[in-house]
Amino acid sequence: MNNELSKASTYNFERYIYMAFIDIKNLVFEYFRRDDEGNVEEMVEALSDISIDIEQGDFIAIVGKNGSGKSTLAKQINALLTPSEGAVIVDGMDTENEELRLSIRKTAGMVFQNPDNQIIGSMVEEDVAFGPENLGFSKEKIWNQVDVALNMAEIQEYRKNNPNNLSGGQKQRVAIAGVLAMEPKCIIFDESTAMLDPGSRKRILKTAKLLNKEKGITIIWITHHMNEVIEADKVFVMKQGKLVLQGTPKQIFEEENVIYDCGLMLPVLYQYIKFLSGQGLLSKEDVYDIESDEDLIDFLVNKYGINGTKTAKVGAVKADSKNNNDMDAIIQHRDYNPAEGLLLDNVSYIYNKGFAGEIKALNNVNLHIGNGEFVAVIGSTGSGKSTLMQHLNGLLFPDDGNVYYKGKDVADKDFPLKKLRQKVGLVFQYPEYQLFAETVEQDVAFGPLNMDISKVEANKRAYSAIEAVGLPDTIYDAAPLSLSGGQKRRVAIAGVLAMGPEYLVLDEPTAGLDPVSAKQLLDMLKHLQIEQKITIVMVSHSMEEVSEYADRIVFLKHGEVIIDGESSYVYSSDLLPKSYYSNLPLGVKILRRLKEAGVDVDISKHKKEDVFMELCGIA
Amino acid sequence: MKDITIGKYYSVDSLIHRLDPRVKLVVTLIYVISLLFMRNAYMYLVAAVVLMIYIKLSNVPIIYIVKGTKGIIVFLLFTVILQILTVKGADVLFKWKFISITRTGVYSGVFLFVRLILIIVGSSMMTYTTTPNELTDGLEKLLSWMKKLGVPVHEIAMIMSIALRFIPLLSSELDRIMKAQTARGIDFSEGNIFERLKKLLPIIIPLFVSAIRRSNELALAMDARCYHGGEGRTKMKPLQYSRRDYIAYIILLLYLVFLILLKKMLHLSVLSGV
Repeated sequence: MNNELSKASTYNFERYIYMAFIDIKNLVFEYFRRDDEGNVEEMVEALSDISIDIEQGDFIAIVGKNGSGKSTLAKQINALLTPSEGAVIVDGMDTENEELRLSIRKTAGMVFQNPDNQIIGSMVEEDVAFGPENLGFSKEKIWNQVDVALNMAEIQEYRKNNPNNLSGGQKQRVAIAGVLAMEPKCIIFDESTAMLDPGSRKRILKTAKLLNKEKGITIIWITHHMNEVIEADKVFVMKQGKLVLQGTPKQIFEEENVIYDCGLMLPVLYQYIKFLSGQGLLSKEDVYDIESDEDLIDFLVNKYGINGTKTAKVGAVKADSKNNNDMDAIIQHRDYNPAEGLLLDNVSYIYNKGFAGEIKALNNVNLHIGNGEFVAVIGSTGSGKSTLMQHLNGLLFPDDGNVYYKGKDVADKDFPLKKLRQKVGLVFQYPEYQLFAETVEQDVAFGPLNMDISKVEANKRAYSAIEAVGLPDTIYDAAPLSLSGGQKRRVAIAGVLAMGPEYLVLDEPTAGLDPVSAKQLLDMLKHLQIEQKITIVMVSHSMEEVSEYADRIVFLKHGEVIIDGESSYVYSSDLLPKSYYSNLPLGVKILRRLKEAGVDVDISKHKKEDVFMELCGIA
Repeated sequence: MKDITIGKYYSVDSLIHRLDPRVKLVVTLIYVISLLFMRNAYMYLVAAVVLMIYIKLSNVPIIYIVKGTKGIIVFLLFTVILQILTVKGADVLFKWKFISITRTGVYSGVFLFVRLILIIVGSSMMTYTTTPNELTDGLEKLLSWMKKLGVPVHEIAMIMSIALRFIPLLSSELDRIMKAQTARGIDFSEGNIFERLKKLLPIIIPLFVSAIRRSNELALAMDARCYHGGEGRTKMKPLQYSRRDYIAYIILLLYLVFLILLKKMLHLSVLSGV
């Protein structure tokens, strides 16, 4: 009797010692894929033999490309899915035990990817209260929890607002507050930043780090953006349902080939570190101290700088203390033929004209887009980018000013709008959401068929468009919705290409794609520009992307064009204000700071390879 | 689509906003029913004045309401014209071929117009001043006796509040899809009725796919936040009658009594030939 008792207590003791906060043991998750009649077609192993220990208070990152199983793994942790084999134990609770499910979900909350599809309430505070209400907290406790959560997520000033009127970043804060109100020990961010602009992305990540540091909340950060995991305690890399790498960020970044093989890319910072180390410009010890972009820049300036500005803090070349808001416009003078290309002449556009809530989306915009350019349109949310795009093919018409296509006013009664829409192809954000036909072939041929040409000709165009976007001909009969995210996006772009446009206007074409798919897509656009002489106009949030691919940059702010010029002209301009500095790509920042420190570098270089070449000469 | 603001919660603080949603539901219901029994201009006048006071107290700008109603005015006018043309009386004002307009017809048309406007504005005041959550809470509580009959009142209320939240989202999504397909050369203004219906497919299908995707994700998000039906669920803002709610009920009663008296009086005055 006595013996048995002690055995039992030893067992418990061992459990207590050896069980991590989240203990995933040999987890296998399978599901059946069924055909239209419900017969099992195949069994898919979404997760195979995964074992992970996560300690309380850790900041863990799980990375992998779309379809690698990282979100499936996340859903196992809060019992939204349960193991086919193996076990998932969260804070001592087995996820297979149905009675514990609510406690598990209270312990491990989840912030999802799409900000719109996780908000239930029609007022911010009511949505935040949804969790506590489900848990049966008393009224006083709910109010208290909601107050605390709103404060922690820094969204308290919007508590009475309708979530529909908030920006994507703000909505994600509401979602975070909704989880915090349940007093979780762990929060899983399931690609919560994928649909946000870079500024909001950084802020959400910062909030997560703060919750981790100050409240000791375990964070599980799921992403395909490697630059978000630099400061994680531990990183797990997934590929096809398997765990292929795990370790500290620095250990992971050593394995560049494996990372690339998983459809991921090194953070830009580490691409530079790797190159510089390879060139002998950085020693192993130097690398050890570099944790952020600024560390690297400061290091290079201190080591290779010549004059006394070595210690100068981050700043622009021009040493002025200008107000952030009134920067001089940087407009490069360009000669153009008004009878060619697309011309926006003093275009203004106002939403809700004459009513309360009137918004001037475009204000006296002058822009000429010639043939064969690759133009990047950048600007924050609400700067008028989407409105501008819709003016280019006659979906919107200016309230003031004119839009000319080849010298003809598109607002004229006899202007052939259908022709304009054929010549200026518009690809909206997440264009795959507009796919509708049963097969890829039918969907891509939809545009051409609307142009009153024969079916044979339409199909011919569809085939060459599918080829142009780099998809195999085996895809013709596939159902669009069964394809992967990257493929769907290509099909959608092919649908516009098939109309034979001279201009291709795209709204954030890489949003939500994993890094390798994004790069392939951008390479494809560059190819279209060079080989097929199609003018590309691309709205983008990513400065790294823009610096690598665009020949010309147009920067919109509050509906006005603030910057317009060739990339090299813009990056080397000494008018760039300080407020803009943090948005610059890392390479451009490095060159500008080195130049400031008296090093002879060409600051008009902006593509990574060119910056590398410049850096070779600094020693 | 975006111009239709009717029924969209108008976020300000006011006496009406603070009323218990159950009061507002009952008031709206009784008000609409009372309109159906009105037979003459005086009573409509009373109803209109009462509504104006209600709007004034609610702090919802009248211009916002007018703007919201604008979208359906065409349907209203159509109904009214139909009424004028079909109601026949002895007193013919105008005759042309088979079309004849009578004084009775015009009166009934005008009354119908006033009645419909009052019904629409009156009932939309409900949603202007009540968040969807409050509204469904109110309904859930008012109808809670039906639970005993096996009606899933909580579930219905939850479905309603989710629908109300997602309508604006889906409406802007519809807008985006239409623009995208327009950019692909679809022209909604040409072709016969069948061809036009066929053109709706590229719009309806993506919209449905998106709605299904959204509902899947929302269901997961609700699960993740421990939703498990109405059992054991508490409320952040439990409904509780306060003094102003009782006062509102009394005013509603007075309104009814006044209307009945007015009807009696008018009836008597007609009889006595005044």
